[in-house]
Amino acid sequence: MAIFKRIPGWGQVAPVYAVIVLMIYAWTIVWFFWKLPSWLFFLNAGEIVIALAYALATNLVESVLMLCAPLVMSMALPKQWFHDLFVARGAALAISGLAYMMYLANQFKTKDDYPSLTLKAWTLALALGVILLIVYLAGRLSLFRKLIELLADRAIIFLYISLPLSLISLVVVIFRWVV
Amino acid sequence: MSKFSRRDFLKLTSVISGTLAISNLAPKFSLSGSGQGNELPNILIFVFDAMSARNLSLYGYPRKTTPNLERFAQRATVYNAHYSAGSFTTPGTASLLTGLYPWTHRAINESGLIARNIADQNLFRAIGKKYYRLAYSQNMWPNYFFGQFQQDIQKILSPAAFSLVDQVVGDKFGGDLANSHRAFDDFLFQDGTPPASLVFGLAERILLRRAVARAPTDNYPRGLPRTGNYPIFFQLKDVFDGLMTTVEKLSSPSLAYLHLWSPHAPYRPDKDFDSTFLDGWRPKQKPDHILGDHIPPGSVNDRRRNYDEYIANLDNEFGRLLDFLDAKGILDRSFVVVTSDHGEFFERGEEGHISSMLYDPVIQVPLLISSPGQKSRQDVTIPTNSVDIVPTLAHLTGNAIPDWSEGQLLPALGGTEDGERSMYMMDAKVNPAFGPLTIGSFAIRKGKYKLIYYKGYEQYKGKDTFELYDMESDPEELKDLYSGNPSIAKPLQDELTGKIEAENSKYRK
Repeated sequence: MAIFKRIPGWGQVAPVYAVIVLMIYAWTIVWFFWKLPSWLFFLNAGEIVIALAYALATNLVESVLMLCAPLVMSMALPKQWFHDLFVARGAALAISGLAYMMYLANQFKTKDDYPSLTLKAWTLALALGVILLIVYLAGRLSLFRKLIELLADRAIIFLYISLPLSLISLVVVIFRWVV
Repeated sequence: MSKFSRRDFLKLTSVISGTLAISNLAPKFSLSGSGQGNELPNILIFVFDAMSARNLSLYGYPRKTTPNLERFAQRATVYNAHYSAGSFTTPGTASLLTGLYPWTHRAINESGLIARNIADQNLFRAIGKKYYRLAYSQNMWPNYFFGQFQQDIQKILSPAAFSLVDQVVGDKFGGDLANSHRAFDDFLFQDGTPPASLVFGLAERILLRRAVARAPTDNYPRGLPRTGNYPIFFQLKDVFDGLMTTVEKLSSPSLAYLHLWSPHAPYRPDKDFDSTFLDGWRPKQKPDHILGDHIPPGSVNDRRRNYDEYIANLDNEFGRLLDFLDAKGILDRSFVVVTSDHGEFFERGEEGHISSMLYDPVIQVPLLISSPGQKSRQDVTIPTNSVDIVPTLAHLTGNAIPDWSEGQLLPALGGTEDGERSMYMMDAKVNPAFGPLTIGSFAIRKGKYKLIYYKGYEQYKGKDTFELYDMESDPEELKDLYSGNPSIAKPLQDELTGKIEAENSKYRK
């Protein structure tokens, strides 16, 4: 089908996925190091590694899920809008979208926090508008585009670390779950 | 493909039902049924988290907080000086479930674990395979222990069972409970901090908050009751209904450990009990303690009142449970244990139980045990400890008393009253579980005396500090006898510090 021809090749997907991986994994790992000192009081190394395995396996699923957003846009939008500028626009979408999610997540600091203003329909629509503007500009402003493409390209190195670790983690989780 | 006829269906169902009838899949006898296929009694353990004996009218508290526990006491053995070995859930529950003191089982930290090499030393193992063994705790922390005991428990109910709204994820990974709860509920989805899982965690958090906002709260002026450390929102009535259903469905003989969050903070009684104790009553004022939070007395007393109202609410639900157990004849065939994992504290500028102090309100807990068919009240006044429960229940179920246990048989249930017995209570949460205990509070109770030992605190400039109380003449622990009575204090001090040193030496190279 023609629509599937709009799925970019791995060479284009990899940098975008790398940006997603970098942001999602980094967020979790920062919190992991925040948690680690208390865990060291009563968990042994094996138990900490297993907890990390669960986290990395979850991150893997999350990152694949988030990759669907630029892929769907690539398939759904006219070719020259997104597919032909997949790395720049996909990475811009990932960076701005995940950054906004980080901002949102940071609003839940206590057990009772509910950022009602941030989660109102109009503020969400405004945020979405800003994200789409950034995505648009990533294709229009050459300097911006090059910067994002450069960043995404450099981020690929993280895939060589995160993917094998995550796959091993996934196997560990499934093994422990089933067995 | 051949057609599956009605006759085939009937054959298949008859084969399945026949197989179920002869297998263990079908309950042999319901607890509430009349059939008594064997002599083994059931054991039902109800643990009410953070229920201080000092706030129960059952034990003489001026406010009428527990009329239904008093009713239950009319057919139970009541232990009037029962101590939890720990001052918060982790060590208190671990001692209850292992018969070991915290310095032995090492579950001394918040959400800590029992030492891995002794995790098979637990109540469920001690009771044995003759029993169907079920565990449930609304408080997440005992669920980490259940994960460690997984081989010895047939059924572990989710902490979110009977809840209105929850965000518990680890229970979906049933084969690896301890680790999955740790990874998801204690980390990736942990409430009270931004979620460590950016995508699922954020989505879950938003959905949770919206579900909570939509949940019915008309009956709860202070908000829907919830567990404090993990997001589980519930109505007490639903929880007790769930317990009744669970108990009724148990096969016989069964051991069920049922650990409720209430009356633990946040204290959220329903509207029938909120403001019940606006009576102006004030407890005896006690001086601020150097290790306390220096909270003004008015605030502490208000919190005490809320706590009392929550206890009264809980007791009311317990009354329904009691009627149910009675009506179904379950009391006639079961040992029913009611206790708590630790107490609660509203004095000396402190409230709650996250405290370094070991005064009785935070460690003295209720213990009532109703034997099958018991019709009259029996009182035990000699001090007992939560480490006694495992050996006693093992004994009552015809099992050998576990040689690992540091407890004794409870008086009136196989044990004798030993006035010279020493027992220990402690709070050592700031120490690593894998090392010596260098900072903490420790207490020894022997006869009528209680010695408290504050070890390594900055507030005391690291100097060992002791307090001594005569619990018979001064149950409120107001008159420190330590400096004026070396002949009493010294042997207790030597015994306690010697025990700590002996335990610490195992962790020194």
